[in-house]
Amino acid sequence: MHHNGSPTRILVIGGGFSGLTAGIEAAETGAEVIIVEKNPYLGGRVAQLNKYFPKICPPLCGLEINFRRIKVNPKITFYTMAQVESISGGPGDYTVNIKINPRYVNSNCTACNACYEACPVEIDSEFNFGLNKTKVIHLPFEQSFPLRYVVDRKSCPKDCPAPCIEACKYNAIDFNLQSETIEIKVDSIILATGWKPYDASKIDNLGFGNVKNVITNMMLERLASKNGPTGGQILRPSDGKPVEKIAFVQCAGSRDENHLPFCSYICCLASLKHALYLKEQNPDAEVFIYYIDIRTPGRYEKFYNQLKEQGGVNLIKGKVAAIEQDPESDDVIVTVEDMLNFRKIKQKVDMVVLATGMQPEGLEFKVPGIKYAIDGFVIEADGIYSAGCAKNPMDVAGCGKDSTGAALKAIQIGGRR
Amino acid sequence: MDKVVKPDLQFAKEIIKAGGESLKKCYQCSTCTVVCNLSPEDKPFPRKEMLYAQWGLKEKLFKNPDIWLCHHCGDCTAYCPRGAKPGEVLGAVRKLMIKNYSPPSFLANWVADPKYLLLIFLIPLLFFLGEMALLGYFSGVEIPRGENGEMSYVAFLPPVPWIDIPFMAIAGFAVICFYLGVKKYWLNLTEGVELQRKDIYNCIYETIKDILLHKKFQLCTLNKNRSTAHLLVLYAFIGLTITTGIAAFYEWVLKWEAPYPQTNIVKIIGNISGIALIIGMLLIIANRTKNAVKQGLGSYFDWLLIVIIFAVGITGFLAEILREAEVETLGYASYIAHLVFVFALFAYAPHSKMAHMVYRTTAMVFAKTALREEVKKEEAA
Repeated sequence: MHHNGSPTRILVIGGGFSGLTAGIEAAETGAEVIIVEKNPYLGGRVAQLNKYFPKICPPLCGLEINFRRIKVNPKITFYTMAQVESISGGPGDYTVNIKINPRYVNSNCTACNACYEACPVEIDSEFNFGLNKTKVIHLPFEQSFPLRYVVDRKSCPKDCPAPCIEACKYNAIDFNLQSETIEIKVDSIILATGWKPYDASKIDNLGFGNVKNVITNMMLERLASKNGPTGGQILRPSDGKPVEKIAFVQCAGSRDENHLPFCSYICCLASLKHALYLKEQNPDAEVFIYYIDIRTPGRYEKFYNQLKEQGGVNLIKGKVAAIEQDPESDDVIVTVEDMLNFRKIKQKVDMVVLATGMQPEGLEFKVPGIKYAIDGFVIEADGIYSAGCAKNPMDVAGCGKDSTGAALKAIQIGGRR
Repeated sequence: MDKVVKPDLQFAKEIIKAGGESLKKCYQCSTCTVVCNLSPEDKPFPRKEMLYAQWGLKEKLFKNPDIWLCHHCGDCTAYCPRGAKPGEVLGAVRKLMIKNYSPPSFLANWVADPKYLLLIFLIPLLFFLGEMALLGYFSGVEIPRGENGEMSYVAFLPPVPWIDIPFMAIAGFAVICFYLGVKKYWLNLTEGVELQRKDIYNCIYETIKDILLHKKFQLCTLNKNRSTAHLLVLYAFIGLTITTGIAAFYEWVLKWEAPYPQTNIVKIIGNISGIALIIGMLLIIANRTKNAVKQGLGSYFDWLLIVIIFAVGITGFLAEILREAEVETLGYASYIAHLVFVFALFAYAPHSKMAHMVYRTTAMVFAKTALREEVKKEEAA
């Protein structure tokens, strides 16, 4: 709170787990918070996970709690499909322009799905990394918040008779909506822009996009999720065969000067967790995890030790550097040096998971007025703070703590004025 | 692996100095070993060599065939996540190996160190200038011309004794150095190893066949062009050897002295080989510069040989053209320069990168006898 009694105003850029945490924590101390999210839903990457650390529980209940905290708190305003266009001023007195893109579906929407049924145009589901199809008008995912459909306008054919408008009984669809830019004044800014999975097709020796049944770790999260494309069954994409033999390729694009130079922190834990997903579905499944070093920092070492005890989980030291299609089937062959046995081996598996790392959003998508390090992470300044993976690769629990810290820093700016 | 391993950091530093600057960046992920198409299944390279090099395990490196089974395609360097450049490191180890195996070691030092660059060319230059002085060309004696009054290098420096004797002497010297070096390397390679194949002559025959077809070199992925360039240079050398043989036959048996007409078989083979040599070397230089970022430009050691061979080709043609054009001073100068570079090529062959010719061949023969060959692409488990 300011000395003059008016509340501190904070802009949070990014509505994923970190942004939500920072925004809600700040708002619950009395600050006024504006959250800007570029997706049509809140929850970010965490919403795409099947289960998360440390309890290996579904993340939707954690997100649900945060959504409830937003709903009951009048101090929080959020904009989806929005992005920051400019930032000017300084600590305690920033002027920010925010562009809000049209959703083409207004608040009358009851999520009845009639429009979806009427829509004739199928597109790849972005939320499921193209593992299945959705339609141009769709709900991003079942538990989306806000629970409202969205139109992927750029995929709408020009000559479409728009049967969705007819189908909607609530007058919720309006193709005449335009984008608008609003101006806000805030005391401080929190960057919680998070990350995206590193584009695995850039790693040309690992076959992603060319070899069938080579997927990424985030795709596996979707395959294992109850609300995912296979209803939670881990089936390989090419023929829907239940996966019995799986290989995990660690450091796929991380710790690599040619790709992401840093360790993405979570990928070893993610693969160990994925081994658990598969083992739960099929106790006889055989898992091969190929690694340079297994990195399970701090107390996570316990999780690593648990996995090592599991039968059928083979941890092999050596980085996979070649992936090919089996000439006779949809199986995949990985080549690696089993370093502890001094042998180059070829292993045939049903499916390969590339443990791709975290590319900070800031590498390709920079918020105007914010400084970034060469690898795309945010450089903080007085009045401008980063939270979660915009700062450094980290796990969800770490993001929570970091975001609470960022909230405090942001609040201080208001009090200082 | 029960023995306690003693690191030799001094030797690790030597490798770094020899061109393996990036050595310490390796974090042992073994991407290199997998992307290398030349690397065998059992105890593959170059990941383990990177570890040996970091620890300075000289014996492990020097008694190792893999150092030479590497053809420096540079696939490992291109895919290395750390910029550790295994290809360059192995190149540096090869340079130290040449020094270790080819006696006398002072010559190896001269060839490996840029500060002796002038010296190594000055020696042959002074030698041939000395010959000219002995013939009195610097004290007023007119340079004689050929039988028909044309400009002639044979008349300028008669093969016997001024050319044939010194060149046979240095060739003999090189052969002795090579013999001693290869013998020592072979003994080290086979120490305590039972050879899987006893038909050593077959192994040698197969190896030569592989070399003539560049079978190994062609397995390189990113740097396939290098194979073509190198093959061209190899055949150019074979052609020039044949040329020399025919010329020797003309001169010693038929007593027919040069210069020979351009239509003669010896000139045809010689000129074609010379052109192939220059084109091959230009391609080698172009490939190296083009791939420098991804695969490394190469070291002084590499470039010294490139320069010598390239200069042999250029000065050879220059001397020939100037002779045909009757341009005397420049022509004789080009001929002397040509002799200097040919001398450098032969005399330093056991110590320069030229030595790869025999040491790599030795390692390849050993690999055949030990059944240590690369994994065929189609064999999948």
